[in-house]
Amino acid sequence: MSEFLQLVIAGLTTGSFYALIALGYTMVYGIVRLINFAHGDIFMVGAFLGWTMLSVLAAGHLPWGIALFIAALLSMAITGGLGVFVERFAYQPLLSAPPLSILITALGVSLALENGILLLFGPGFKTYPHLISMAGFSVGGAQISHIQIGIIILSFLLMGALYLFVHHTFIGTAMRALAVDRDAARLMGINVERVIQITFFLGSALAAAAGVMEGLYYTQISFFMGFVVGLRAFTAAVLGGIGNIPGAMVGGLIIGLLESFSAGYISSRWTDVIVFIVLIGTLVIKPTGIFGERVVERM
Amino acid sequence: MIKPILYAGLPLMLTIGAASAFAADTIKFGVPVPLSGPYAAAGTDILNGAKMAAAKINADGGVLGKQIEIVAEDDGCDAQMGVQAAQKMVDGGVSVVTGSYCSGAALPELVALHRAGIPYVLDAATNPKLTSMGFDNVFRTIGRDDEQGPFAAAFIADYLHAKKAAVIDDNTTYSKGLADNTVQALKKDGVDVVYYDAITPGQMDYSAVLTHVASLKPDVIYFTGYFSEAGLIAKEAAALHLKVQMMGGDATNDPTLIKTAGPGAEGWIATTAPLPQFLTGAKDFVSDFTKKYGAAPGPYSVYEYDAVGVAAKAIADAKSTDPAAIITALHNIKDYQGLTGSITFNKAGDRATAVYITVVVKDGAFTPGMKLSDAGKWVPVQ
Repeated sequence: MSEFLQLVIAGLTTGSFYALIALGYTMVYGIVRLINFAHGDIFMVGAFLGWTMLSVLAAGHLPWGIALFIAALLSMAITGGLGVFVERFAYQPLLSAPPLSILITALGVSLALENGILLLFGPGFKTYPHLISMAGFSVGGAQISHIQIGIIILSFLLMGALYLFVHHTFIGTAMRALAVDRDAARLMGINVERVIQITFFLGSALAAAAGVMEGLYYTQISFFMGFVVGLRAFTAAVLGGIGNIPGAMVGGLIIGLLESFSAGYISSRWTDVIVFIVLIGTLVIKPTGIFGERVVERM
Repeated sequence: MIKPILYAGLPLMLTIGAASAFAADTIKFGVPVPLSGPYAAAGTDILNGAKMAAAKINADGGVLGKQIEIVAEDDGCDAQMGVQAAQKMVDGGVSVVTGSYCSGAALPELVALHRAGIPYVLDAATNPKLTSMGFDNVFRTIGRDDEQGPFAAAFIADYLHAKKAAVIDDNTTYSKGLADNTVQALKKDGVDVVYYDAITPGQMDYSAVLTHVASLKPDVIYFTGYFSEAGLIAKEAAALHLKVQMMGGDATNDPTLIKTAGPGAEGWIATTAPLPQFLTGAKDFVSDFTKKYGAAPGPYSVYEYDAVGVAAKAIADAKSTDPAAIITALHNIKDYQGLTGSITFNKAGDRATAVYITVVVKDGAFTPGMKLSDAGKWVPVQ
C-alpha cells in the first residue's frame, strides 16, 4: 500500500510537468496544425532563464521567496516572448506553405535553441540553488515532500486558469474559433495573427513555469534536458487527443503514472516500451486520442 | 663495381652513424597522446606527467648514464592519426613508448608497435581488449574496465558485509558492461542480487525505481551510470528516506553529483581509479606539477609518470636500450614502487593488483575511502 501511494505521488509529480508542457504542443497544434518540435527546448530555455534570474536576484540579497516569485514570473514572460518571436520569424511566413516546410523549420528552431544555450552557458550541467528543502511528511508509509505537493497544486492551478481563459474570455473564444476554421475566423473579423501569437505566448509561458519548477525540484539543468521530457509531453498530448486542452492535462498525468507504475511494478528498462504500447493501443481503438474529436486533417 | 656498393652502403652508414650519435646522448621515450581536438587538454596533461618523470630521472643521473628524451606525437584520439604517430615514433628510433589517452587510438598504435617489436606502456587506455590480444609488448599502469566490477563486488561483500545488493545501469555500453561484471562478481562473492535493471538517462525522476528497489530491502544500491543521473538518484533516495548505502561506478566521481544532490549526496561511495590527490605517494608530485604547470594534474598524469618510471627501471635492469631486452625486463619487473602503488605486470601486461579505490562524499566533497592492500586487506587510502 505504501509503495502504491509512493508511486502515485511520483507519477503525479512527473505527470504535472508533462501536462504543462503538453498544453503547449496541443494548443499550437489545435490552432495552426503544427507539431512544434521546438517546444521541449522552449521548456529548457525557461529553466535556464529561471536559473539566471535566481542567480542575479540571489546576489541582490532578496529573501528567497520573493526572488523565486520574481524569477519565475520573469522567466515565464521572457520565454513567452521568445515563443512569440519564434512564431513571428520562423513559423508565420510558412503558415500557408506545405506542412512539411513548417515541420522542418520547427526542427531547425529546436536545434538553434539547444545550440544557442550550449554556446551561452556551456556544455556542463547547471544546478539550481537548494532553496526548497526536501522535507515532507509521511502518509501511510509513503514519503511526500512539500515541494511535490506544491508542484502538483501549482500545475493544476495553472491548467485550471488556462481552461477558464480559453472558455470564458473573448480571446479564448477567438482561439477556439481559429481551431475550427482559420479562414472563417478571419472573415468574422478576428485578428488571426495576434491570436496565434497569444497562443504561442501562453504555451511557452506554461513551459517556462514547468522549466523553473523542474529546475527547483531536480536542481539539475542542461541544454539537452528538453529532449526526453519534450518527447514524453508530446506523447501525452497525442494520447489525450492532440488539439484538446483537457486531453493534454489528462494525457500528461496518465503518462506520468504509467511511467511510475511500469518502473515500480514491471521493469524500468521497459518503461518506454510500455508507455508507447499504451499509446499505440489507445490510438488503434480511438485514433483521435482519449478526448480528441476532430479527425486529423493534416500531417 | 665499387660504386653501387658505396652508394648502397652510404645511407646505411649514415643511418647507423646518426642512430649511434643520438643513442650516445639520449634514450628516446615516445609519448602518443591527443594534442589537438577535444581531448587536447587531457593529452597535454599526460604529456606533462611524462616530462615530470623524465626530468626527475634525468636530474638523478639518467638511465645507463644517458638522459631520457620525451618524443611527443599527436594521435588526436583517432585510429588513423594513431597509426601515423606510431610509425613516426618507430622511424624516430624510440626505445619504448609510454602514453595513450583513448583506447580507440591506442589499439592501432599497439598493433604498429607490436610489428616493430617496441614495448608500449599504456597509462590511460582502459579497454580490456588491449591486453587480451596475446601481444608480449603491451603493459598497462592503470586498471581495466572489467576489473572495476569485481573490485566493487569485493568492497560490497567483504567491507560493507552486504547480504543483498541492487545494481542499476543506464543502458549505455560502458554502464551495462560494468553492471554485468559487478553482478557476476557479486554472485560469486555470495551476495544476493535482488534487483538488476536499467534507467533511462534524461528522465529526471527515478523515485519510482527507487521505491521499488527499497521494497526489496537491499543493503547496497550500486549505480553504474554517469554522475548527472547519480546526483538525481542520490537526491531522490534521500527524499524517500531510503536507509540504503548508495554507491556508484567511476563515472559518478564528479562534483556535479554533489551539486545536484546537495545534502543527499553525503555518504555516496564511488569506486574509481585513484586520483593523484588521493595517493599518499603522489603528494610531492601534485604540488610540483601544480607549481610547474599552473594547474593540478588530471586523473592520468600520475599513471603516465609511473609508466615512464617503470620503463626507465626496465632499461636499467636490462642494461640495454634494445626494445626486445626492455620487453623482457618489463615482464620481470617485480614490485616497482610507483606513485600509484606497487607495480608488477601479469602475463598479459596488466597490473597484478587492481588499482581501484573507493571515495566517499563527506561534507560536500569527495574524500578518500578504502583500498585493498597488497595483503588483500581493506585499508584507508590515506
